[in-house]
Amino acid sequence: MIPGYYEFCNSAKIVSGTRAIEHIGFELASLGSSRPLVLTNRQLRELKVATVVLDALKDTEAEVVGVYDEVPVDSSVAVVNDVARVYRKTGADAIVAVGGGSVLDTAKGATIVLTHGAEDLMEYRGAESLMGRRAVTFIAIPTTAGTGSEVTSAAVIKDTERRVKMGFTSLSLLPDVAILDPRMTVGLPLRLTASTAMDALTHAVESFSCVQANPLSDCYARAAIDLIREYLPKVMADSKDPKTRLAIANAAMLAGAAFSNAMVGIVHAMGHAAGGVAGVPHGDAMSILLPHGMMYNLDVAGERYGELLINLAGAEAYASTPRAQRPTAAIQAVRSMTQALHVQVGLPLTLGGAGVSPEQISDIAIAALDDGAMSMNPKQPTYQELAELLKDAL
Amino acid sequence: MAEGGWRTKRGRKTLAALVFLVLGRGLVASVRLDERVRCEVCGWPDGTVVTLRVAPFGPQVSWRVAGDVLEHLGGGETDSDLLVTFKSVDDAIPLLLGMQGVLVAFAEHRMMVRGDLSVAMSFVRCLHIVEGYLFPDIVTRRILPHPAERRAGHLRAYAQLVHRTAVLEGAAS
Repeated sequence: MIPGYYEFCNSAKIVSGTRAIEHIGFELASLGSSRPLVLTNRQLRELKVATVVLDALKDTEAEVVGVYDEVPVDSSVAVVNDVARVYRKTGADAIVAVGGGSVLDTAKGATIVLTHGAEDLMEYRGAESLMGRRAVTFIAIPTTAGTGSEVTSAAVIKDTERRVKMGFTSLSLLPDVAILDPRMTVGLPLRLTASTAMDALTHAVESFSCVQANPLSDCYARAAIDLIREYLPKVMADSKDPKTRLAIANAAMLAGAAFSNAMVGIVHAMGHAAGGVAGVPHGDAMSILLPHGMMYNLDVAGERYGELLINLAGAEAYASTPRAQRPTAAIQAVRSMTQALHVQVGLPLTLGGAGVSPEQISDIAIAALDDGAMSMNPKQPTYQELAELLKDAL
Repeated sequence: MAEGGWRTKRGRKTLAALVFLVLGRGLVASVRLDERVRCEVCGWPDGTVVTLRVAPFGPQVSWRVAGDVLEHLGGGETDSDLLVTFKSVDDAIPLLLGMQGVLVAFAEHRMMVRGDLSVAMSFVRCLHIVEGYLFPDIVTRRILPHPAERRAGHLRAYAQLVHRTAVLEGAAS
């Protein structure tokens, strides 16, 4: 499939491997930086995950000018501004973000403030509206394997005072370097591992079937799904194996690069809304809603889903399935995966199981219609269609 | 139309300015004609200014929410809460002439958005409804995500548009 027009950018250098973090001194030096501010959260410090990075930085020419570990679960404007203040005060020349999506998004927000001198981040909300080169060296070290934030051009930051979530997309938010090291994810609980991996799988499937899909994003999406199919069951069986952890971290990164360029659709729109209205954890929402979203898109994206069967179920399953049955077989492969994770680690299969009440369906449908991800779905639902879809998932 | 017609850059900018004028008044008329557009606009904060613009030097068209109506601010410079900018006039023309849908144009990176993306989504739904009035079915079938559902006929919509144009021109003279 070749679109009439597309753009693709994945400029972050990927440094992946066991003990990859030990290269951080070289990476900083090669970017001309020597005074990093390390951004993380309390929990990662207490669990000694951030210590791996701090120890690696000790043995370099770089001087860590500060460790900011106050990043909350949801990144907020206040924290972003505080990080920018500390960055200026300490004379830092780089941000090394160690954490999950919220730490990485906080770092991205801080780079906006520091680059554009923003007084109010609200002024910079939008898509592709940030101009100019970033003024801050930015290294991302993910400690979860799902969001792919280390290679995405998007960030979501909460304005807690105005009670709004602000979305930003710009290529200037892409980190300079993303370091994937199994030591960062080896201690992740299995349930969280499963949930975040399903987020990555959803990034890959949606980016492959949404309207911005292109030959480059397709390669990333397929590679991500292959890794998840092969290695997620292995991680579930042996959570301490660095090789399998590294494979899932790579899957999340590949899926992140795919969706950063090809975007996501109805599953993410519903998932964001379910998170906002009912507090459903994002990965859980993805796991529940992915097969439903695929069913909804089947008449317009069926052929694309059929193509993915080889990645979702393997070459033998693909070869033995008649072409006409491949789209539904692909959805069935996703269902089999979610059912296995339900049995293994208790991932919910329904929105009801994730705490959503029937009364919340209407609000979730309304919020999903307004979600930016919906615009990239191959088919635009009406409110009624969306409400029905969500009821089916309840 | 500029010399050389729409094949020249100047001609295409003139054409874009003309379509912006029609769209500017068409959206205002749609708020009066169609409760779906009214509902969308009522969801935007009062005083919100929305601008559709061609980079780098225009043309542009702006609207402001004033209670439950929309004011057409014309093509002058203004501070906008939601600014949708086409990266070039070549990116704007296919959409403005009904050759390409808004969502496809966005997917193809032909425009950038500054402001609240949920208002942008609502604005896109309004544009879809307005396009339903301005373009015939042969065009809307290709560019809209759903078949155009009109709460008033084309003729009534055009009458509103002409009426508003006449009123505005009368007020200006």
